[in-house]
Amino acid sequence: MSVTEAQAPAAEPAIRTEHLTKIYSQRLIAVNDMNLQVPRGSVFGLLGPNGAGKTTTLRLLLGLQRPTAGRAEVFGKLCGPNAVAVRSQIGYLPTNPKLPEDLRPIEYLDLLGKLSRLPGEVRKPRIASLLRDVGLLDATDQRIGTFSTGMCTRLGIAASLVGDPPLLIWDEPTAGLDPSARRFTLDLIRELGKTKTIVVATHILGDIDQVCDHLGVMHEGRMIFTGSMQDIQRRIGREDFTLELEGDPENISRLVREAANLEGVEVRAASSVPVRVSSPEVSGLKCEVSSGDGALQTSDVKLPTSKDNGTVLVRVADGRRRARALADILQLVDACGLSLHGVHSGQNATENAYLQLLQEDEAHGFHR
Amino acid sequence: MDSTAKTFALGTKLMPYLAILEHDLRALWTSRLVRLWLAATAVMTLLLAAANWAKFQDATLIASLLFPYLVFPWFFVVVVLGVSPVSGARAEVLADGILSRPVSRCEYLLAAWSARVLLVLGVYLVVTVPAVAIVTLAKRPVPEDAVTLFGIVSSLGVVALVLTFLVSLGFLAGTLLRKPLLAAVVLVFVWYPIGIVLNAFSLEEFSPISLSRAMSTQLRQPWRAADAEARGKANAQDMEALARQMDHFLSVFSNGQPSPAAKPDFFEGGRFTDFSLLRVILGYGLPTLMAVALAMVFFHRRDL
Repeated sequence: MSVTEAQAPAAEPAIRTEHLTKIYSQRLIAVNDMNLQVPRGSVFGLLGPNGAGKTTTLRLLLGLQRPTAGRAEVFGKLCGPNAVAVRSQIGYLPTNPKLPEDLRPIEYLDLLGKLSRLPGEVRKPRIASLLRDVGLLDATDQRIGTFSTGMCTRLGIAASLVGDPPLLIWDEPTAGLDPSARRFTLDLIRELGKTKTIVVATHILGDIDQVCDHLGVMHEGRMIFTGSMQDIQRRIGREDFTLELEGDPENISRLVREAANLEGVEVRAASSVPVRVSSPEVSGLKCEVSSGDGALQTSDVKLPTSKDNGTVLVRVADGRRRARALADILQLVDACGLSLHGVHSGQNATENAYLQLLQEDEAHGFHR
Repeated sequence: MDSTAKTFALGTKLMPYLAILEHDLRALWTSRLVRLWLAATAVMTLLLAAANWAKFQDATLIASLLFPYLVFPWFFVVVVLGVSPVSGARAEVLADGILSRPVSRCEYLLAAWSARVLLVLGVYLVVTVPAVAIVTLAKRPVPEDAVTLFGIVSSLGVVALVLTFLVSLGFLAGTLLRKPLLAAVVLVFVWYPIGIVLNAFSLEEFSPISLSRAMSTQLRQPWRAADAEARGKANAQDMEALARQMDHFLSVFSNGQPSPAAKPDFFEGGRFTDFSLLRVILGYGLPTLMAVALAMVFFHRRDL
């Protein structure tokens, strides 16, 4: 933790925006009256579809752009083009970072270290350590222009960490990465999240689910939701588990019927979550989604499924032990002659909640 | 101990500026444009010197070597070098790589401007200083000339000042207009007819062609041309002339009746004896500072 961060009042959020607004050329509203607070020490996911204003928000925080109205603060300091003290607290990783192609990794990181005013005796060992941490030790003699997308992202990550800032702002850090590089990046975020505040802007829900503890959802320049991951998952039906089953549909119906006798457990055969099937066909199903107040609504949808595959949602009542409830359900699955293909715990809740938030925002129209 | 600490603090404070300066100088040096320019300017200097070796006296030959920097064609290269730092695709690399770090825009602009000025002056001096030394020291089949060290230094300095002004002008255009090609084209259209424009404001003695014509006279100027009193009087006359020029310049804008501009002997006799170093320094120095200051203001207000 840096001295500056330590000196700031503990209650002070890492990032605070008040009525932050950015309008380009009096034509395009990129950020619309945004009020946001990112708690210190959190891993904050900034989620939104393409064009929602995520990158603009981050650039406003960095002072790369000037707000049309409102203000943004980082650790209590006002953001702006000459806010050097603010940027010294931030490690920024842009989407697919554009790096100087003629430099080699050590030269580039050394330049950034000097920009952060790090003396040589601190800078050099840190650069070596960072290059090792991001797995670029073997590429130190290559020019950055020869790097792949993944290598550029790794170098960008190292670049964001050169000054050892207390706040990391990473814009779509997993964009264009292969699975192993993606895994590496997410693991790194988890690790860094233990000591730093991290803001990850992305439209990939899987990333948010895996690493974030707080979330902000942006849509058309506005922040339509902020809160903890639990908060957003509570907004939708609280199915605690999703079971992927294979077997006779009759047996699945039987499972649902028999599960109704279990105390504090509700089981529904439904496909409100993506259905993973081996031989997709199209058939009519009842799809259950929850409305904003948590009530379930039912509507006819057509989803791909197979007569031998099904997904059931399991909701565990408050106060009932989840492990015990799952054990009971699994016993029933076995008793009904069904094969279990997978158990997912709340994995799709964020996605459903996110889509629901966007849908609600679209529907609100003028009330926005 | 205290002075060491102060030096260390100053070094730390200047670290980003020096880092950007070094990075930009290196990037510029590795660019094809700069290397081609260096080669071309060396070749042209060699050709000019060789062609006029037995024809011109020292002052005229040196003035002819300086002509390409003042009038044509090197101004275009200098302007293009000035345009590039904050425009086009470079702006994106700049935002991602440098300006998202703990660096103020002012620091960045000053460092980038310094790098361009140093590079341009470096290329210019690396070629002209040896050429001038050879011309003045070599035994040539022409009559002896009264070229002075002061004359050489001041003439080289005047050209350096004009080049610095051109870099700054390119810098300002590159900041105002996001497209480097557009900025370069605009500058060419501004700089080519600059003689006519300056003439309209009775400032023709500052035009590159006038300066070029005055070079041979300036090269023969001794350090102590007159005593201190005379110099004081000359400076007062310079300031008076400058004030008159400013008055005329402003009256053109305000559509007022300008007092008839006294045409200096400079143009009439072709002797260029009233070439004033002070006026030239002010005439190019102030707009240079103004261009850099304006570039900073515009860049500060710009979104990246």
